[in-house]
Amino acid sequence: MSHIEKIHDFIQELNGFAATAEETLKKIEENLEQNKGLFSVFYERMFAIRGTAQQLGLDNITQIARLGEEIAHNATIAQTRPQIRKCVSSLWDALTTVKYLLEHHTEETSEEQNILIHRLENTLRVLGGSREKVSSDDIDALLKRK
Amino acid sequence: MEARDLPILVVDDVQAMRAQIRSLLAGAGYKNVITVGNGVEGKEALDKAPFSLVIADWHMTPINGMEFLKYVRQHAVHSQIAFVMITAEDAKEQVIEAISQGVDDYLIKPLTIEKITSRIENVLRRKKVLT
Repeated sequence: MSHIEKIHDFIQELNGFAATAEETLKKIEENLEQNKGLFSVFYERMFAIRGTAQQLGLDNITQIARLGEEIAHNATIAQTRPQIRKCVSSLWDALTTVKYLLEHHTEETSEEQNILIHRLENTLRVLGGSREKVSSDDIDALLKRK
Repeated sequence: MEARDLPILVVDDVQAMRAQIRSLLAGAGYKNVITVGNGVEGKEALDKAPFSLVIADWHMTPINGMEFLKYVRQHAVHSQIAFVMITAEDAKEQVIEAISQGVDDYLIKPLTIEKITSRIENVLRRKKVLT
């Protein structure tokens, strides 16, 4: 199977994940406090999209899905209604862009997408930032200390 | 047993990733590869046939990679199987948890054929599956 065919199959599959993420966001909007546990479902779907996009070298999708994933992770522990609402609104932006990029994965990042990335990064900062990450070298060091 | 004949179980919920990992393993010479879509199917596969190596993603439902790792490590028969996590999960806390639960190697995507070949071979040698 060629790389292009792999990407085509991936896009088909990931469109299904994006649809699940969209349904989840709609449910959260119906009752922000009661349904905020569903952010974890959104997180899982964004994670699946990012992981495969990362493997296939689709950098634009990887970058936005990662931000969506981190915001969703923070959203699961958000305490106030305005915070939850802010997360939902940012996640709609992230999801809409991911869906667009799945359909137009060969396009370069546009000015509009760069603005969105900046906005998502700001939201993430306000929510407490992303979790501490490790590189492959860090992991090797941790494994050696085992 | 030749490396190409070693039975390998790949557990990943994304079909495109399963195909990609299978293709990388084939490129590295490993031809005896079974793929399944989640930890439940992984458990069933382990009960049906012996495997020399398990490769699992982290985020899957209904049983995720970490739960599957714990299952394998606590299992009376399968506890010594070589277990490699291949994932995009790079949060420090999660990586430390996987290592503390006994993962033999932890590879962050994207994978290359060189990376998968050398890391799997190292794990299989450490486990004395390959000499």
